[in-house]
Order: sequence, then C-alpha cells, then structure tokens
Amino acid sequence: MQSVAEFDNVGLRYGTGAETLTDVSFKLFPGSFYFLTGASGAGKTSLLKLLYLAHRPSRGAIRMFGEDLVNMPRSRLPGFRRRIGVVFQDFRLVSHLSAFDNIALPLRIAGISERDLAGPVNEMLDWIGLTERASARPATLSGGEQQRVAIARAVIGRPEMLVADEPTGNVDPDMALRLLKLFAALNRLGTTVVVATHDIHLLQEIDGAQMMRLDKGRLSDPTGSLKHPPRPLVLRN
Amino acid sequence: MQLNLPFTANPHERQLIPDGRFTGPMPWVMAIMLFLSLLAAAAALALVHAASQGSESLSRQATVQILEDDPGARLSQQQQVASRLRQQPGISDVNIVPESEARALLEPWLGDVAEDSDIPVPALIDLEFSAAPDRARLTALRQDVSRIAPSVRIDGNAQWLQPWFDLVYSMLWVALAIVLLLLFATSATVALAVRGALNTHKGTIEIMHMMGGTDLQVARLFQRRVALDALFGGALGLALAVVVILLLGERVAALEPGLLSGASVPLYGWPLLLLIPVAVTALSMAMARWTVLSTLKKML
Repeated sequence: MQSVAEFDNVGLRYGTGAETLTDVSFKLFPGSFYFLTGASGAGKTSLLKLLYLAHRPSRGAIRMFGEDLVNMPRSRLPGFRRRIGVVFQDFRLVSHLSAFDNIALPLRIAGISERDLAGPVNEMLDWIGLTERASARPATLSGGEQQRVAIARAVIGRPEMLVADEPTGNVDPDMALRLLKLFAALNRLGTTVVVATHDIHLLQEIDGAQMMRLDKGRLSDPTGSLKHPPRPLVLRN
Repeated sequence: MQLNLPFTANPHERQLIPDGRFTGPMPWVMAIMLFLSLLAAAAALALVHAASQGSESLSRQATVQILEDDPGARLSQQQQVASRLRQQPGISDVNIVPESEARALLEPWLGDVAEDSDIPVPALIDLEFSAAPDRARLTALRQDVSRIAPSVRIDGNAQWLQPWFDLVYSMLWVALAIVLLLLFATSATVALAVRGALNTHKGTIEIMHMMGGTDLQVARLFQRRVALDALFGGALGLALAVVVILLLGERVAALEPGLLSGASVPLYGWPLLLLIPVAVTALSMAMARWTVLSTLKKML
C-alpha cells in the first residue's frame, strides 16, 4: 500500500539550535487515524509543521503523496497543501473575516465559485452550531467557537489528509466528542487523520486509531502500528 | 460600489487584505510624483514645439546687409542685389526692408538719433529660402552678389539659432531624465509601501499559503490596492498639472512674438501627458507584483 506520508531519518532544527526532531521515521497510510502524543516541547507541533508543509526538514527524506518533498520546487507546494487540511493550535483565523468567510477561505483559494461554496459552508456552519454567528468576526467568538470555525475551515475542502494540533483543547467534552466524530467520519471517507493531543481520553474514543509518541524529539511507536497498515477504524459508543 | 480592475483579485479575494487606501501616504506621494512628472514632460513638449516652430520658419530666413557709406550707392546696390537674388533658385521670397524700418530697429539703442539721416544705416534685404541654407550656400550667394555690392554681408538665422536649439534639446534630455527619476522614485515608493503591507498582513499571507494559496494570488491582492492608490494619485496629479500648464500657457500666449511664443503644449502632446498616469499605474502594479513575488520567494 502506498503511504500518504513517509518520513525517513528526518531531523529538524531551527537556526543553529539543537535538533527539535531527531531521526524520525514513519509511514502514514491512506484512510488511517493517528494520534500524536507527547509532553509539551516534545516536538509535536514541529512534526505537524513538516506534515502540513510549513517547513522543510534539516535532514532526512520526506515523501508526501508519493513524491519527494525535500527537493520539490516551491512552486509545486500550493497544489500539495490543498490536499491537506490543517487545524492550528492557535486557530489562526483571519481576524477581519467573518466565520462564514474564514470557513470559505480554502474553497475560494481553490477557485470554487461563490454559488458552489455557499451550500457547503452553510452546512458546515450548521454542523458546528454556528449558523447564527455566520457573520461574526473571530474576536467576538469564544475560544471554543473559534476552534470549531478553525476545524470547519480545515475539513471543508475534503482534504486527503487532516492534520490537527490540539483540536479539542478549548471545547467542552460533548463538543470534543462531536468533533472527533467528524474526524472519524472524514476518516471513513478515506481521509488520513493525524491528531496531536494531550487528552488521553480521546485516545480511548476511537478503536483502531494508532498512536505515535514523541519524546524529546524522538518518535516511539508504542502500538507498533506505524510499521504496518492500520486496522479498520471503529468509533466507540 | 466595487471597482473591478484587470489583473487584480476578485471581490471575495479582496477581503483578505483590507484596502485601507487613501489613509496612508502613498496616494498623496504618487499625486506629487505625477504632478512633477507631468510638469517636466509638459515643459519638454512645449520647448520642442517652440523649437520646431522656430526652426521651421526662422532657419529658412537670412538677412542681407549692404554696408555702403554713400546713401545713393547703398540704395542702388540694394535694388540690384535684390533683383539678382530673385533670380537665384531656392529663394522663395526677397523683401527689401525700407530704410525707415531699419532705423526703427536701431531706436531701442540710439533713441531719436536713429532718425538722423547723417547716421549711416545698412541697407537690409530679408530672404526666405525654400529650405534652410547651409553655410556654403550663403558663402556662394555672398560671392555672387559681392560683384554688385562689395561690402555685402549675408547672415543666416540658422547660425545664430543653433545655440538656442542646442539649449532646447539639452533641456529636453534634462526633462526626460527628471521624468525617469520620478518614475524610479515612484517605483521605490511602491516597493517600500508593499513591503510594509506584506509585513502587516504576514499572518494572513501565511494562512493563505497553508491553505494552498499561490504567490500570484497574494500578488493580485496587492496589485489592486496599489492600482487604486496610483489611479487616485494619478488623477489628482493630472488635474493639478493641467491647471498649472493651462495657466502657464496663458502667460506664454501673452508674450511678444519671439522664440518662446510657441512654447505651449501642442495638441499631440495632451494624449502623451494623459498616458503618463496610465503608465505609472501599470508600472506601479508591475512593481507591486515583483515586490510581492520576490519577497514571498523567501518564504516556504
């Protein structure tokens, strides 16, 4: 099975500092669900940045969707980024755009017409329970509402891979479960999902999800699943 | 009302970078640059127009002087020389200047004394050639008529006009250099403003990149913003420049006929002047695009 992402002895350092990630090797398979865990400062966000193409590695090899990313010309990156949905830890909503426009952003960038994008964006707003707040700007939304908008923006383009950095950090347990269900639903449609989280309860919610643990920039594979194609995913309860 | 411009972002893309136009200094700086560029260009066009008008008529003219002391002989030689010159090919008009007119020319220097018939005044003949004569042609003519009037002199206007033409063409180059320098300064202003705006909107641009936005999509946002500033600055600069050019034109029209009397912007010059704001807008958009693309190249 061809992997969605393949890291081989990847190292990442910022400037002249020590390596944030060291000898990271793994494969992510299509349609699989991964949790990335580790203590604060272990390198989770750095690993996700490599996955959503915000950085190139300092050393090692990365293949994404079957292509060498390290030597890929910059001009080809936008096409690959459109295949990846990202939920940033700090949401990174555009402050002067409404919730509707923030969610519509990936579709507009992809050149979807206004007529075609209104339906999906309104559906997404309905799903995250923010229809009434469609025209609200991020500053007037609560932390949880902003997070839901950020997640809606990440998934609206039906990405092949979804990368989420602490996506449930600011929402109540019910909403956390609903969001996880959304991720699982996307996963069932074939999207590879990588969720970085501190919340060990989330790990128990999805049967079949695999876990990657980072410890001081090194990756361990407690379930042994990174070396093998995943089992079908089952959401508990 | 939304203003749609070619090569710029669509209305929904525009929301990403709020316009904020007319609030920064750029439109006003562009208005000043355009105003100065237009004045320099208008001055160049007016001078070239004056020079071309002058060169066309004045350089085809020459003056014959007969410096004979004896008034009778002077008058006789004047008539004979004029007759001789009328027979020469390439001379379209021969006009004997009456003595009274020649004396009137001296009045500014000599006062009423110029009217005194005891003061010898050269007999003058105005010549007009069908084409501007060169020095050799004038020398040959002088040799021909010197058999009739040994003291004859022929002075072509082209000779004394040459320094004026040299000055006009020097000023034309200076004006062109000023226009180019102002265009360069405008480009530098645009580059600085765009770099500042890129820095201000760095967060939004990073998000666009992460969503798969291309550098060209980002560049289009800034091209529109810069185009609007340039159009506003251009319109203001043009309006002010037109007022000044028309006012100066009235002053020039009031001058006595002379070298500067034709120094007004010719009809063909107005479309050229109108092209300058359009060219500056296009240049500004190109500069904005180049600045954005070259800056974003350093980002991943």
